[in-house]
Amino acid sequence: MEIVAQLALGAINGLVWGFILALIALGLTLVFGLLEIINVSHGELYMLGAVLGWYILQAAGSFWISLLLAPLLVGILGLAVERAVLRPIEAKPIITIIATFGLSLIFQQSVLWVFGGAPQRVPAPIAWEFSIFGFGYSGYRLFVAFCSALAIAALWGFLHRFKYGMWMRAVQQDREMALALGIPISQVYMLTFGLGGALAALGGILAAPIVALEFRMGLDILPAVFIVVIIGGLGSIEGSLLAALLIGELEGLASVFVTPTTARIFSLVFMSVVLLFRPEGLLGRRH
Amino acid sequence: MKGREGLTLRVRILAGIVPGLLLLPIFLTPYQRSVLTEIMIWGLFAMAFDLLYGYTGMLSFGQAIFFGAGAYGMGFAVLRLQWGVWEALGFGIVLAAVFAAVVGALAVRVTGHYFLILTITFSVISVLVLQSGHWRWLSRGYVASPFVPPNVPLGLWTISLTDPLVNYYWVLTFVVLSFFACWRIVHSPLGKVFQCIRENEERSRLIGYHVERFKLIAFVLAGIFSGLSGALLALTLRYVDISFFELSLSGKAVAWTVIGGAGTLIGAFLGAAVFIISTDYLSAWTVNVPLSIGLLLLVTVTLAPDGLIGVVRRSLALRGDGRKRP
Repeated sequence: MEIVAQLALGAINGLVWGFILALIALGLTLVFGLLEIINVSHGELYMLGAVLGWYILQAAGSFWISLLLAPLLVGILGLAVERAVLRPIEAKPIITIIATFGLSLIFQQSVLWVFGGAPQRVPAPIAWEFSIFGFGYSGYRLFVAFCSALAIAALWGFLHRFKYGMWMRAVQQDREMALALGIPISQVYMLTFGLGGALAALGGILAAPIVALEFRMGLDILPAVFIVVIIGGLGSIEGSLLAALLIGELEGLASVFVTPTTARIFSLVFMSVVLLFRPEGLLGRRH
Repeated sequence: MKGREGLTLRVRILAGIVPGLLLLPIFLTPYQRSVLTEIMIWGLFAMAFDLLYGYTGMLSFGQAIFFGAGAYGMGFAVLRLQWGVWEALGFGIVLAAVFAAVVGALAVRVTGHYFLILTITFSVISVLVLQSGHWRWLSRGYVASPFVPPNVPLGLWTISLTDPLVNYYWVLTFVVLSFFACWRIVHSPLGKVFQCIRENEERSRLIGYHVERFKLIAFVLAGIFSGLSGALLALTLRYVDISFFELSLSGKAVAWTVIGGAGTLIGAFLGAAVFIISTDYLSAWTVNVPLSIGLLLLVTVTLAPDGLIGVVRRSLALRGDGRKRP
């Protein structure tokens, strides 16, 4: 009975973590699908979301305000970064990737400078708890999964029902043709990068009450997110969602038996196996 | 004819640098000498990356794994196994080569963006693993494991690397030998295949080259030189800890190569020298080294994507005394 309860807890934790991973991975894969670059600073955008959320929480006193404002601010930062730094060099993808590595150092160290190196905590805004097989479980975690699922559904709706969303899909499918049809590609790129940043930041502020808040937290999430986009297939939105939930469950269930680091190694092994047999990922297109 | 002319110019420059480095310690303060030693070691690390990125077109953010393996192999062999420096150095390099072969075997199967992601993932996870409980007994986390390098038997003599001047020449020897080894490699038929893969992977495959095999060779070669530089740094600083494995170190190799000029070998040293000397002089203002790396990297890739060597080449070409570039 004990083991069933622990497995159930592991499964729910995995689901929650999988949804947070999905949010962040979707941002990364959107940016890759359009701009054809790996944004190495994506983990730092997640971290910035959490840290900015912490500051807003201190100033405004409400978690819900930071939940709205932090992704918005990071999204605006993303727009600015794309316009000022990435656009002039967008013709050279490798140089652009190196530039995003420079950005990640700048974000990380600026936060270390301003925020300090000591980890901070954000209290969970929902105190409600319920019990699973006699174990108390935080209702906030369920809210995180729900909120992430809502955001993912909203993203899907945006990509399929709204003008800019459809432009984004058009540019991803055929850049030249989209250009010929008069779609403002530069604007779409900028919006994509901003949206990617906002998604990462939303993941960050949602995760903030669950994890320790510090300048290195982007580095903690980065390998998991990379594993997710590789397994799902770079540029594939459905693939990233599927892979994020798979990896979340894998690590959640494995953590019942082994340490989190060993669970991460399981993901790494899983990714390696996928790469050996399906190098383009589970739902990716062969390039 | 064209290539020969260019070669002699470069050889003349290099022929000036080596005796210069031999004589330089006479004019330097001990502190400046230690900075120069570190520049040579970091330059060697960046050059190993240049072999991979500048010549074979593989952008890896995972070179710190092999740098750390070399350093830890050296530290472990001296500290726990009580080996001599030669054996320990060999152990560190072999360890780095084995790691590179294992990571490379998987990484060379994928291309472009996947390769980049894979190297970052392996790099970050290797730090996680070493930091975790299972491996703490070996790595000791961020707690430095200090060691004293034993005296090195060298033919009839015995030298002590605890003397900074001796260590300077020890490092200089390895760096110069490695530079010429890399120089030979990139100008050999093997190096031409690397460059062929960089220029067009598909075409290289069609010509009949086994692209994965050559990429693996490049990856292991880069791993070996990275491991050597890690071992040399461990000998110089006389300690190891897991900061030798950090992603930011791989980033340094990328930054210095790109700042100096990729695909030139010497650019890696130039980038390392410019960066380390300038941060050293500006240390009153730039308290934060990674931040200045990031800023300098952004400035370089936006203003001069071909690096300092590229700037020099272009200004020579403008003045008309460089050879004509196609």
